[in-house]
Amino acid sequence: MSLETTVPAAPSQQPPKLPPFKALISRLAVNPLGGVVAALVIIFGASCALSPHFLTTFNMVIIARALAFIGLVTIGQSILMILGELDLSVGAIGGLAGVVGGILMVQLGLNPWLSLGLCLLMGGACGLLNGALITQLRLHSLVLTIGMAGVYGGANLVATKGVAITGVPRDITFLGRGLVMGVPVPFLVLLVCLAIVAFVMLRTPVGRYIYAIGSNPDAARMLGIRVNAIRMGAFALAGFLSALAGILMVARLGTAQPSIGDTWVLGPIAAAVIGGVATTGGIGSPIGAVLGAVIIGIIEDIIVLFGISPYWQSVVSGGIVVLAISFDALARRYLNRDAV
Amino acid sequence: MKTAFAFAAMLTAAPFLTPLAAGQAHAADSSAPLRFVLIPKTVHPWFDKANNGAQAAAAMISQTTGRKVEIEYRAPQTADVSSQNDIIERAIATHPDGLILDLLDEKGNRATMDEAVDEKIPMTVFDSLPPEGMDITAVGADFCEQGTMAAERLANLVGKKGEVAIMMGVPTAPNHTLRAECEKKVFAKYPDMKVVATGVDNDSIETAQKQASAIMQAHPDLVGWVECDASGPVGVGQAIREGGKTGKVKEVGLDNLNDMIQLIKEGVAESSASSRPEMQGYWAVVSAWQRAMGQKTPKYIDTGIDLLTAKSL
Repeated sequence: MSLETTVPAAPSQQPPKLPPFKALISRLAVNPLGGVVAALVIIFGASCALSPHFLTTFNMVIIARALAFIGLVTIGQSILMILGELDLSVGAIGGLAGVVGGILMVQLGLNPWLSLGLCLLMGGACGLLNGALITQLRLHSLVLTIGMAGVYGGANLVATKGVAITGVPRDITFLGRGLVMGVPVPFLVLLVCLAIVAFVMLRTPVGRYIYAIGSNPDAARMLGIRVNAIRMGAFALAGFLSALAGILMVARLGTAQPSIGDTWVLGPIAAAVIGGVATTGGIGSPIGAVLGAVIIGIIEDIIVLFGISPYWQSVVSGGIVVLAISFDALARRYLNRDAV
Repeated sequence: MKTAFAFAAMLTAAPFLTPLAAGQAHAADSSAPLRFVLIPKTVHPWFDKANNGAQAAAAMISQTTGRKVEIEYRAPQTADVSSQNDIIERAIATHPDGLILDLLDEKGNRATMDEAVDEKIPMTVFDSLPPEGMDITAVGADFCEQGTMAAERLANLVGKKGEVAIMMGVPTAPNHTLRAECEKKVFAKYPDMKVVATGVDNDSIETAQKQASAIMQAHPDLVGWVECDASGPVGVGQAIREGGKTGKVKEVGLDNLNDMIQLIKEGVAESSASSRPEMQGYWAVVSAWQRAMGQKTPKYIDTGIDLLTAKSL
């Protein structure tokens, strides 16, 4: 998206003035985030109309807090996808960081804030290890990270024997449960991380290099971009953000659950795709990916609010996701038909 | 891009600008239907049986009192505490007259249950214990007693000697872990018995079957099996049947899924130490209804454990 080149139209080639509705569709369609925002507005509006329980402060806080954990993982995964990579061990890294945090704080009695810092470093190191193995051994990220997910998940079970670590100090539970002016703290952490990553992606050379590598790694290498270093850095960032999500979840639950992160594998990938990130690399943005995560979060919310049978939940949520993805394509096709 | 950012900003801000619009619980309105939300650990046939019991209790109360009672069944897709907490929170947002919960981990669920307390929504738990200090009725059976019953039965069947194996359920599920610990304690009492293998089936029949087949290959002298979840015994039973070891390798299962009952009838499994999911669901609803009516309820309702054998079925 940041590499798009805008060519000013010649005076004689002014586009014809469109009716207001078509003009809105047109503006959304040319905007990289237009499709996901439009889908989000429709799903949000429909949810408000169909359930009296949806647009309440309590429910919005629930959605925002649940979004924070999956959103952090989604940011890291979306950058990897823009690079043309995938990391299927992000959930396992988050879970491992959570239980290591629990061990450091509870069993070893370390300062909670120091433990938190160490866990984040460990998450970054796990991600870096993934990146190093992928780049140095020239392995496919999908295959390698399936194996590493087993390694990190297994280490989690070895450390905990499958039993949750209880007694997490209250010093850090505010990070998971607290509210600042009615806004959940994990959601604020998500916004800060998203702002920093979006700035890097849109306003710095590193962001441009990531898009360039995702579009064509060989061409990027010929341009002198340190492709492997950036790929390793992106994996480290994904690991760091997963560890952050893991430790925030520990703060939220008040216990270090070995099962943390089990559901963070496919959700972030789906969110990124809904948000316009191409699985082939080079296209998309972390903002779009997080908006995709918002759509998934709302769908998960309304499924419960509407009382949909648990056996139909996957069908309904999957169907809505397909509709959301299709919306962008349909809007663009609608516009292109008029333009021809 | 600016338009998209504006939409995104509006959506982000909207939640925190809206007033509380949801209706409150209506237990006090004697004509309105009573609505209880039942949230199990995950989607599983055992919880379907508990839901059947809950629906039966709702029908009984409706018929007896003339006031309609509705049970909404909301199951997490995976047995994960954070997923269950999300479902509980969303159920709280609908302001039901009561929550009936099968807690995955009472400590991990505590913060979310505190939110229900803040919203003045009464809770009842089943198949699990409430967090310490919370005044909540628990309905269920003793997990340790269930594991002990199964292990003692197997020990007697094999003459208190020989190699045995335990099929763990989900290593992170406290009730599965507790059953395994209690089963190990029983076998440790008998010096001629040895636990030579512990499989992990993650509450999957297919995984249990694969693991059991491999363990029986590796330990040809194995004389018996016990398990820790409802899926494990079915998978182990299938492995015993397929391996031609029916009668040679004894199995004492857990719970009363249809497949388990079939294995007992076929003679593959000798018996099953079964909790009573329908009864747990039934009494959980009765307790929740009494709470919604403002009545005091017992701290614990023990629904007991059955030993299912070919004779008793």
